[in-house]
Amino acid sequence: MTPTYINIILAFTISLLGILIYRSHLIASLLCLEGIIISLFIITALIASNAHSPLINIIPIIILVFAACEAAVGLALLISISNTYGLDHINNLSLLQC
Amino acid sequence: MTYVLFTLSVLLVMGFVGFSSKPSPIYGGLALIVSGVVGCMIILNYGGAYLGLVMFLIYLGGMMVVFGYTAAMAIEEYPETWGSGFEVFGCFLVGLMMEVGLVLWVLEFDEVVVVVSLNDMGNWVVFEGEGLELVRGDSIGAGALYDYGRWLVVVAGWTLFVGVYIVIEITRGN
Repeated sequence: MTPTYINIILAFTISLLGILIYRSHLIASLLCLEGIIISLFIITALIASNAHSPLINIIPIIILVFAACEAAVGLALLISISNTYGLDHINNLSLLQC
Repeated sequence: MTYVLFTLSVLLVMGFVGFSSKPSPIYGGLALIVSGVVGCMIILNYGGAYLGLVMFLIYLGGMMVVFGYTAAMAIEEYPETWGSGFEVFGCFLVGLMMEVGLVLWVLEFDEVVVVVSLNDMGNWVVFEGEGLELVRGDSIGAGALYDYGRWLVVVAGWTLFVGVYIVIEITRGN
């Protein structure tokens, strides 16, 4: 595996750690989710170029479509939490409702 | 420069460490934008011009703008940056040290061999018909989404529509 692939998979793993370990803000975890999406996009785009196969280029486009959906839903949840509690601090989330 | 692609991927990892060490979301968004720009340059170096442009326009120009506005809504008065406090700075430093260790390991144990690598998707020259035509491999492949993947287009479009409806229902509140 070339060093470029190693670095991009490492970037994915670092963002994954960023989602699983949270500090005070909820939107920071959503940012790390966006980082995962970026690294997946880059890896599939590189695989499409390296394999000289144009049809694989469909996969990064579809990844972007579903990433937009999940970012929108995550941000909507964040906004409704921020409307209820004022800030999006995670230690506000004690009840199972927004 | 032989190492331009490896240097760009190292910068990508450093940008990812920058927002994974959880500073305040505004600075995290800045690091994500920088990482997106570097990732776009990596894709361009592999010959995927269309996908690099897609990432710039749709990802950085669309989703990051939305993230910026939302982060501006949920921000506090004194946002903490990478230099304030030991937690963020310590995480950032540990990530950078790990990446420096990886660079040293690659430079020492992988020998530098200049290989003519055809990792470019390239242009497909069409000789049929009147004159000479040129077709970019990656944009034609993404256009095949509407031909071979027409059911996927229907599913993705329906998902987006339902996603918008879900967002409206969530933000409507109680």
